Amino acid sequence: MNDLATAVQSVLQQPADATRVKIAVRGLDFHYHDIHAVRNIHMDISERKVTAIIGPSGCGKSTLLRVFNRIYAIYPKQRADGAVLLDGENILDPGYSLNRLRSKVGMVFQKPVPFPMTIYENVAYGIRHHETLSRPRMDERVEQALRAAALWDEVKDKMKKSALGLSGGQQQRLCIARGIALRPQVLLLDEPTSALDPIATGRIEQLIEELKKDYTIVIVTHNMQQAARVSDETAFMYMGELIEFGNTEKIFTKPDKKQTEDYITGRFG
Amino acid sequence: MSANVYRRRYAKNVVAQALASAAALLALMFLAWILWVTVSRGVQAIGVSLFTKITAYADQGGLANAIIGSLIIDAMAIALCAPVGVLAGAYLAEYARGTRMGETIRFLNDILLSAPSIVLGLFVYVIVVLPMTAATNGSITFSALAGSIALALIGLPVIVRTTDEMLQLVPSTLREAALSLGIPQWKLTVQVLMRAAGSGILTGVLLALARLAGETAPLLFTAFGNNYTALSPLAKMASLPAAIYQYTNDPNPAMHAIAWAGALLITLFVLALSLIARAVFARQKTSHE
Repeated sequence: MNDLATAVQSVLQQPADATRVKIAVRGLDFHYHDIHAVRNIHMDISERKVTAIIGPSGCGKSTLLRVFNRIYAIYPKQRADGAVLLDGENILDPGYSLNRLRSKVGMVFQKPVPFPMTIYENVAYGIRHHETLSRPRMDERVEQALRAAALWDEVKDKMKKSALGLSGGQQQRLCIARGIALRPQVLLLDEPTSALDPIATGRIEQLIEELKKDYTIVIVTHNMQQAARVSDETAFMYMGELIEFGNTEKIFTKPDKKQTEDYITGRFG
Repeated sequence: MSANVYRRRYAKNVVAQALASAAALLALMFLAWILWVTVSRGVQAIGVSLFTKITAYADQGGLANAIIGSLIIDAMAIALCAPVGVLAGAYLAEYARGTRMGETIRFLNDILLSAPSIVLGLFVYVIVVLPMTAATNGSITFSALAGSIALALIGLPVIVRTTDEMLQLVPSTLREAALSLGIPQWKLTVQVLMRAAGSGILTGVLLALARLAGETAPLLFTAFGNNYTALSPLAKMASLPAAIYQYTNDPNPAMHAIAWAGALLITLFVLALSLIARAVFARQKTSHE
C-alpha cells in the first residue's frame, strides 16, 4: 500500500510544465475466471500523447485497455487487482463511480457499432444522459463532435438518416464522434481500424494525430506500422506481461529487450 | 482413391437425398391437403350472411358474433401477454444472463410453452372463473376476460422466448459501446437493444397472436360461448374456435359448412399474420446491413 501512496504522491506532485502522467498503472493483475491474463503491470500513460499497446494475439493488450474504463465489469468472473490511477484517483476502487469514469474515458471498438438510430441521435444520445442541453446547444455539440471526428461534411445533409446506412469507415468515425461528444479526457481505441479498408484507415490515423492535441489516447493495435506511425510511446506485451515500454522511435529502432526486437522484426507473433 | 470409392459415395448421396426429399414432400403434401380441404369446403359457406348474421340463427345464420368475439378476446390476450413477455424476455437476456436463476426461468418457460392448452384452460377456470362466480353470487361466471387470460398464457412463453433469443442475437459490442458512454443498463435495454431487436420482438408477438388465435380448448371453460353478440369483457363471449367446435358436433350438414367457413377464416388470419411477421423480420435484416 505504501507503494500506492508514493505513486499517488508522484502523480499529484508533478511539475506543471513536464509531460503529465494521465493514467498510472500500478501492479495490475487481471483474471478471467481462473486464467491470469495480465500480470503485474506498471506503466505511466502521458497526457495528450498517443500510447500504443502492441503484442501478439492473446497477449492481454485488449484486456489491459478494457480495464481503463472498467468495461470488463459487465461480465461476471472477470477481476482486476492492483491500482489504475486516473489523475491520481484509483478507478478500480469500487467507490469510483462508473458514470463519472465513463464520462472521462471514452472507448471506440474494433467493429464500428453505431446505435440503431439517426446519425444525429447517435451523437446526442450519450450527451443527453450526462447533460441537459437546449436544442440549439445540443445541435452545436453534435456538430462540434462530428467536425472533430472529420465526418461533418459527409453527413451534415443527412443527420436524420439512420446511421446504419453509413459506410464502415464513416460508422467508425461516427463512433469516435459519439465518444468525444461527451468531452472525455481519455480516448481508448481497441484496434479501431482492423475492420476498415486502407483509405478509411488513413483517415482515422490522421484523425488520431488531430485528436491528441486535446485527448490522451491509448490505442491497441495489431498493426506494428500503425503503432509506429501514430504513437508517441509504445508498450510491448507478451503472455500477459509488459515486456518493454518507452518512446516509440526507440522501441522500433533499438529496443532493449530481445523479445521486443524479435516481435518487431517479425521473428514471431 | 479409386473411382469405385467415388461411385459408392455418389450412390450413398443419391439415396440420402432421395429419402430426405421424400420426407419433405410427405410433410408438404399433408399441409397442402389440409389447406385444400379447408378452402374447398369452407368457400361454399362464405357469403355476406357469414359476416352479418349471428350464431343464434344456427344453420340460417353466420358467425358475426364469433368473429367479433374472437377479435376482442385475442386482442385482450395479446395486450395482456405482450408487455409481460417482452419484459420477461429482456430480463432473461439482459439481467439474468448466465445466472442459475435465468436458466431455471428459461427452462420453466419452455415447459409452459409445451403445456397442453386444455390444462391452461382448466387452470384459469379454477383461479378466475370459480372465484368470480363466488364473488358475484353467480352474476358473472364465464367471461371473455377469463378466456383472454387463458390465451395469454399460451402466447406468453412464445413471446418470452423470441424476445430472449432476439436480444441475445444483438452483438455484445453494442452493449459495450452504450455502457462505455455511461448509459445505464435499463436505458441500454429499452432504448438501444430493444430497438436493435425491434422487428424480431414484433415478429415474436405476431407469431404468438397467430398461435393463440387458433386455440379452442382454453376457451371452453373460460369464455364459454354465446349465441348473441357480446361486447363486455365480463360477459360470456362467442369465439370462432369454440363456434367451430360446437358446429362440428351438430348433425346438420349446413352447420358443418359454416364450421368449415370459420376454419377457413382462422386459417387465413393466421396465414396473414405469418406473412406480416416474415415481412417485418425481412425488413429488419436489410436495414441492418
